[in-house]
Formats: sequence, structure tokens, C-alpha cells
Amino acid sequence: MKLKALSLIIIFGFFCTLANATTATDAAKSIQLAEDLWDKTKSAGHEWNTIKPLVAQAKQALESKDFATAIELSNKASQQAELALIQAEHEKTNWLNNLPK
Amino acid sequence: MNLLSKALITLLLISLTSVSYATPEQDKETFQSFYTERFPDISKAEFGDGVYALDQDARDQWEAMNDFPPYEDDLEEGETLFNTPFTNGKSYASCFENDGENIRQHYPKFDSKRNMVVTLELAINECRTNNDEEPLPYKKGDIAKISAYMASTSEGSEINIATPTSKGELAAYEAGKQYFYSKRGQLNFSCANCHIQNVGRKARSETLSPALGHPTHFPVYRMKWESFGTLQRRFDSCNKQVRAEPLPGQSEAYRNLEYFMTYMSNGLPVNGPASRK
Repeated sequence: MKLKALSLIIIFGFFCTLANATTATDAAKSIQLAEDLWDKTKSAGHEWNTIKPLVAQAKQALESKDFATAIELSNKASQQAELALIQAEHEKTNWLNNLPK
Repeated sequence: MNLLSKALITLLLISLTSVSYATPEQDKETFQSFYTERFPDISKAEFGDGVYALDQDARDQWEAMNDFPPYEDDLEEGETLFNTPFTNGKSYASCFENDGENIRQHYPKFDSKRNMVVTLELAINECRTNNDEEPLPYKKGDIAKISAYMASTSEGSEINIATPTSKGELAAYEAGKQYFYSKRGQLNFSCANCHIQNVGRKARSETLSPALGHPTHFPVYRMKWESFGTLQRRFDSCNKQVRAEPLPGQSEAYRNLEYFMTYMSNGLPVNGPASRK
């Protein structure tokens, strides 16, 4: 009985570590994706100043091992970068609508 | 495709071409006419007073403040810095035509050898580096003071940017124009949204100033900054307000924007440095 309980604890601990490691990797990947998209907005000349603090906060959360927050913040950064890229694409032609008439 | 369809497509193409490929001269005429028609009681030169040309209450306060201009000390310091020789004995005057006096109205200018726009602040720093001095940080501080002093020697001279005609000039001009009219930042605003479409209206408690005349009075002493700032420092403020990331001082995009905006104000007198809220 004791042996069974000990085995269960070891197995549970193993899965917990595995889950934790996966989340850390996911958070790092999520931040990398946000950074890549952010770089694209810079190249497009349409960087928003709201992205940089989100990425910085996400990195801080990763360092503090708060992986869920890191993923949440980097996802927000990615969403904003994607919107900035849509804006950049749209403004390639839309700027002509702003000319004085 | 029948004849009517062909004719319609041709007409559409002609109209699109005429919008996107107006000459700089045509752009300037349309730009300046927009303001003079919208505000028929304001003379063209008065647009150089910015918001104080549109809002009499604000103008009264501004004129009272100008009895003792807040920038006097910084302007004097700018003159001292301008006249202080470099370590090699030369001075800023040696780098500019007319010894650097009364030249503000010709900047920014296009350097065809380097195929780029050169602003006055860039020229000041190039003068320093050509004389083995360290460049100054852009946007504020000593460079703004020196530029403000140089602007003061041009007071009353009309902005006179050569009309872009070469391929390089036109490319820089068009890039600046596109920047001015493009929406940016999380709030999705262009320079034109505030300073053309909504000019004279309020954004919260502030009256939005006309873009015509913006470059005439820079560097500006802003009470908010408690110091001089160059036009590119002001670009930063606008970008931050619409939640766009400001660009580095003298970046290509900022130089091109300054080139476009200054050309749009051709014919207006230099009235800087000036003070603003």
C-alpha cells in the first residue's frame, strides 16, 4: 500500500514538472512570436508604442515563472502587432483619402 | 469589352493618376488654399502663429506671456554656443553660407550628392563632426538652442524650399507626404486627421492647430517641456499621443516629413523661435 502511494506521488510529481516545463516553453515561444511580429511592425514603419511594454511585462512574468501571465501578455502584444501590420497594409493606399479636397 | 467600359476604365485611371501624382506645386496650392478658404479672415502669414491665429483667448494669453518670452535665456545661450569656436579654432559660421545668418528659410534642403534630405539640425551636427567635435543629441538641448538662435536670424524671411523636381527629391517628398497622411498608432490617426480635417476643433481642451505654418516657428519653447524642442521633438509628441512609437532623431522618415511639411509652408515668414503651451 505504502509502495503504491509512493509510486503515485512520484508519477504525479513527474507530470507536474513536465507540465511546468511545457508551460515555460510555451511562454517563451509565445514571447518569441510576439517579438517577431513586433519586428515586422518596425520594418513596416507602423510600430505602436503599446507593444514594447507588453513584451517587457511578458518577459518579466516569464522570469518570475508566472507562465500563464507571460502567455496572456505576449498574446496581447501579438494581437496588437497584427493589427499594426493590418494598418500598415491598409495605409499603403488609404492615405490618399486623407488629402485635402 | 465594349467601348463604354473601356472609356470608363480610362477615365478612372486618369482620375486616380491625377490624385496620386499631383506635382509638389499643385499639392502646395491645394494645401494652402484649404486653410485660406476655411479661415478666410486669417492672412496666410498669420498661420505661422499656429493655434493663436485661430483662438483669440489663447492669443491674448500668449501675447501677454511674450512680453517676457520664456525662451530668452536659452536663446542667448544658443547665440553663445553658435559663436564659441571649436577646438580647431573654426566655428559654426564656417560651415554655412552667409556665415549661418538668415538661412533657416532654406532648410530642410535636398543634398543630391548623398540623395537625402538635410535638416538644419543635421547640418549643425555635420558641422561639428567635420570639425572633430562630438555630435550633439538631437531634438532638445544645445542643438535646439543653436538652431533657435539661427532661426532668430531669419525672422521675417519667407520659407523658401526649392521645389522638388529630381527623382531623388520627388521620392523624399512623396515619402514625407505619405507619412503625413497615413494613419498610425493604436488610435489610428494621421497628422492630417488632426491638423487638416479637424483643424480649429477641440481635442479635449486643446484647439487643433493648422499644419500650414507649423515649421515656421521651430525650435519652439514649450511650457510643458520647459525648454526648446525641434520640430522632430514635436513629431515625437504627436506620435506618442496616437500611441505610435516615435522615431529616432533625424531618421529618414522624420527628415522626409519635415521636408514635405516645410515645402507646404513655402512663402510664410519665419517667426521662430516661438513659445507654446
